[in-house]
Amino acid sequence: MNTLIQRTSWVVASIVVLHLAGCASPASHEGMTAEAVAVSKKLPYSVSVETKGGSETGAMDSSNISNADLKAAIESSIVKSSLFKNVVQGKNGDYDLTVSVTSMSKPMFGMSFTVEMETAWSLNKRSDNSVAMRKVIKSSHTATMSDAVVAVTRLRLAVEGAARANIAQGLKAISELNL
Amino acid sequence: MKKLLAVLSGVLLLSLGSGCAVNRATATVENPAALTNLKTMHVIKLEADGRGIDGLIADKLRTRGLTVTTGAEKPENVDALVTYKDKWMWDITMYMLELTVTIREPKTEFPLGTGNSFHTSLTRKSPTEMVDEVIENIFKQGK
Repeated sequence: MNTLIQRTSWVVASIVVLHLAGCASPASHEGMTAEAVAVSKKLPYSVSVETKGGSETGAMDSSNISNADLKAAIESSIVKSSLFKNVVQGKNGDYDLTVSVTSMSKPMFGMSFTVEMETAWSLNKRSDNSVAMRKVIKSSHTATMSDAVVAVTRLRLAVEGAARANIAQGLKAISELNL
Repeated sequence: MKKLLAVLSGVLLLSLGSGCAVNRATATVENPAALTNLKTMHVIKLEADGRGIDGLIADKLRTRGLTVTTGAEKPENVDALVTYKDKWMWDITMYMLELTVTIREPKTEFPLGTGNSFHTSLTRKSPTEMVDEVIENIFKQGK
């Protein structure tokens, strides 16, 4: 009977290990997209988006935010909020929005993961190259065991949540400008 | 039974630990010209910093010909403020896992340039080497 219990425990433990094992995955642009940003106005201008300071997620790394995914998330969030008339690629917009990731604090171990993120948002008017906004945006998000049991997934969710909150704050700040 | 315990320990590790061995050194500069014009800086000392990292950063910046002060206050009569975040880990001894240094406009605290280095235990660097790497990378980007 003891042997049976031991073998069953082995099988269950092996299944759990296989289920939990996996590499860290980068924060996805879908996960970082701010879905319902309450903007106070809709601007009749086009905007192009550039992102800096992100980094790729290596095979042995923890979740990071790539510049491409952050750019896609900001663009999707702008479209969903209808803050600008449209988003254009390259330097063809009425405004250029540049977002730089200044710092991101991630825990390495624990039950609840809180990620703190700081970005620098600058919005420039293309016609006269004037600065419409320069703002430091700080955000954070906590992911718990109820969000994901696997740590690498929990950390990715915390990173995505911090980025989502950051984008929402940035777009809200732009909507409060008199452009 | 011992093997079972080992597997279960692995499960616990996978559920609590978020990453493995990494080496990374990056820097981003908003406006390279703005960095080259800086003459005076103030490193804002973190209240929790008992290791004198603010002093190491100030010393490194002084080697670049800058006039640098340190302290917890935020003076506005300097060309730039410098902030930092250091993260430490234990593996036989304590070591600096990550350092982020940001050079900011004094009034708005908007970042002019930022650098980050992340080295896990096997390729650990001393705090002085970490500071050197981060500052050098910021100014390389600023050229």
